[in-house]
Amino acid sequence: MRRTTLCLIMGIAFLAGGLFSQNVPKAEMPVLTTSAGQSPDVETLNIVMEEASLAYDYCDVPTAEMLGTGVGLGGKESGPGFHIEIKSDLAKFPKGTSYKTIVFAIGASLKGMGASGLTLESEEARLKSIIDTCKQKKIFIIAVHIGGESKRGAPKSDNERMIDAVAPYADYLIVTKDSNKDGRFTTIAKNKNIPISEVEYALGVVDILKQVFN
Amino acid sequence: MTTHTCDCGICDWTWRHVPAADHKPGEMRKIYHISQYKTWPPAEGLKWDLYKKDFTGTEITEVPHTYSYHHGMFGYMNEKQVAIGESTIGTQRKMINATPSAVLDLSMLTLLGMERGGTAREAIKIMGELAEKYGYGFNDDGEMLAVSDPNEVWIFEIMPVGPLWTPQSGKPGAIWCAQRVPDDQVSVCPNESRIGEIDLGKPDYFMASPNVISYAVDNGYYDPKSGKPFSWKRAYSPAEGSAVSTDGRRQRLWRFFNLVAPSQTFNPETPNMDFPFSIKPDKKLSVEDIMAITRDKSKGTRFDTTSGIRGGPFQNPNYYRNTRTICVSNVEYTTLTQCRRGLPDSIGGIIWISFGPQDTACYMPFYAGISEMPKSFAVGDHWTLNRDSARWAFDYTDFHVQPVYNAAIEDVKEAQAKYEAAVVARIPEIDKQALDLYNKKPAKAVQFLTGFCLNNAQTVIKAWWDLGDQLLVKYNHLAFYDSQKRTAGRIKTASPPWWIKAVKAMVVLLEPDKK
Repeated sequence: MRRTTLCLIMGIAFLAGGLFSQNVPKAEMPVLTTSAGQSPDVETLNIVMEEASLAYDYCDVPTAEMLGTGVGLGGKESGPGFHIEIKSDLAKFPKGTSYKTIVFAIGASLKGMGASGLTLESEEARLKSIIDTCKQKKIFIIAVHIGGESKRGAPKSDNERMIDAVAPYADYLIVTKDSNKDGRFTTIAKNKNIPISEVEYALGVVDILKQVFN
Repeated sequence: MTTHTCDCGICDWTWRHVPAADHKPGEMRKIYHISQYKTWPPAEGLKWDLYKKDFTGTEITEVPHTYSYHHGMFGYMNEKQVAIGESTIGTQRKMINATPSAVLDLSMLTLLGMERGGTAREAIKIMGELAEKYGYGFNDDGEMLAVSDPNEVWIFEIMPVGPLWTPQSGKPGAIWCAQRVPDDQVSVCPNESRIGEIDLGKPDYFMASPNVISYAVDNGYYDPKSGKPFSWKRAYSPAEGSAVSTDGRRQRLWRFFNLVAPSQTFNPETPNMDFPFSIKPDKKLSVEDIMAITRDKSKGTRFDTTSGIRGGPFQNPNYYRNTRTICVSNVEYTTLTQCRRGLPDSIGGIIWISFGPQDTACYMPFYAGISEMPKSFAVGDHWTLNRDSARWAFDYTDFHVQPVYNAAIEDVKEAQAKYEAAVVARIPEIDKQALDLYNKKPAKAVQFLTGFCLNNAQTVIKAWWDLGDQLLVKYNHLAFYDSQKRTAGRIKTASPPWWIKAVKAMVVLLEPDKK
């Protein structure tokens, strides 16, 4: 039992080390965090950002137009089913500065989408327009999946559709091992030539984001 | 007694009985992620088989013996009369842990509590310690359980400790606290944390995880230098507002206290967090009193959902949704548990189950010792009408009450008197018969009680299908069809003068040209 445990720990260390040295790309501030599917995973992402001491703007359901307004999101304010937090360092990045990076927390929640007045189809359409804008404006896309295997669901499930809507278009993927048990993200990364990092727990994303944003 | 309304509107409602079991040394108990907000498509199988697909990868050492229990969305009552009711209370945003580092969801915790807890205190300790060790959250955040046995009722509240927790941290993966309700008092949890100041020096009244205060201090939720005593709810689950300030959305706390102790004239302007944890009711409450409270729609109060034109001509309390009354229209089921001293556990414990909105449904008793639940309780979902599903019988009646609420609800009350109040009155007789059998051979009592409960449920379910049919015929075309006399006429309560006036007033407002 002891030998197995030791091998497992060494394996994880090797895997993590390999991923860090080879695959961690660099991204720039300012950054917007958002949700793909409106699950609570975006809260986790925001907490990870705070733990990494990374200032960010957050909106759960931004439109492409809002994204285009840059830091401060055009002065929009939170309302029912719509949340905004402006935490970017305004001294460095005044309101209106174009975002350089967007981080998506992928995870579908019908409850969350319902609270935001979204359907699966309208969420997919919203994400497509956001991603199109990112590509147009050369905004770096990071996609994070930290919900684990049981929130993945069956093929064509709500969550899988959110993965399809975002992951293949990302510039960098960060996933927990539990989310990637079936190698789905590894396959996407390989097919689309996207760097990917795999971590054991959400806590591991803290160090990765610190490195990404240098 | 405890009561719990499972009322999300799209959730699972299926029930089963889990038998007791003996386990060999070395056996392991698999832990599954079970979302309380999920439904499992009946075409794919039963909930308790399907959630095994969400194995967490964690197994814990099995205990030598697990108790039998009744299982709905949560574990509700076991053979030792340990009973549970639930309410989601929320927590500080940063404490939510939706990641897989939290192995235990609330539903899974309650199943473990049922399997292993011989008393309320034991169940609380088991659930709390497992959550500390394996991490709590994933599908759930701040939650409250009313945990009772024949001697005590406790309010147990549990929270995750944030998404950055890992089992390797050496810190507890959950934070929890429990307060006992004094024996002659009542408490309520309307989706808000209720435990305030705590005194761990009184172990007969308070229990908690070791990090109960330190976590709040470390994370800035409580400052010991503030000069104020630590308050669990203010630190971890603050809920601002009162019944009045939230326009009735938070009126259930005030309403409950007002119903059980009208002599104390509680003020609806009192901030909810200032209400006491528990109070002594004006009179001792019966099972029927609790059933009535679960059906309360705040009629006659400033939060009455039928006052003015809110309920339409047929005074339907379900149209105006701004007020969140105790009884709402999107209920999966309601439970009412009784844990009774002086009887063997198999007879002393009763869980009353009512499917659908309480005002149009009927409570059915199920003793702690019965060996099965009705097959019709195990099937059905919200999306396909299923005549083999018990739940749909009650939705069927409920649907036919809505168009002519104030007339049809009287028919429902008649049926409730016949099929519910009459059974409540019969319980002492059933207890006695079961006790006589128990004294001869306990297994005989189990057979007798199982037969009684299943037969009663079958009778009630048939009666509710029939009632739905009768309401359809009786109030067809928004008229009044008398099947006995074969006559048709107007519903007595249709189009009251105030409604006609209200329509005229709206015409003036909206179509001034037609003035």
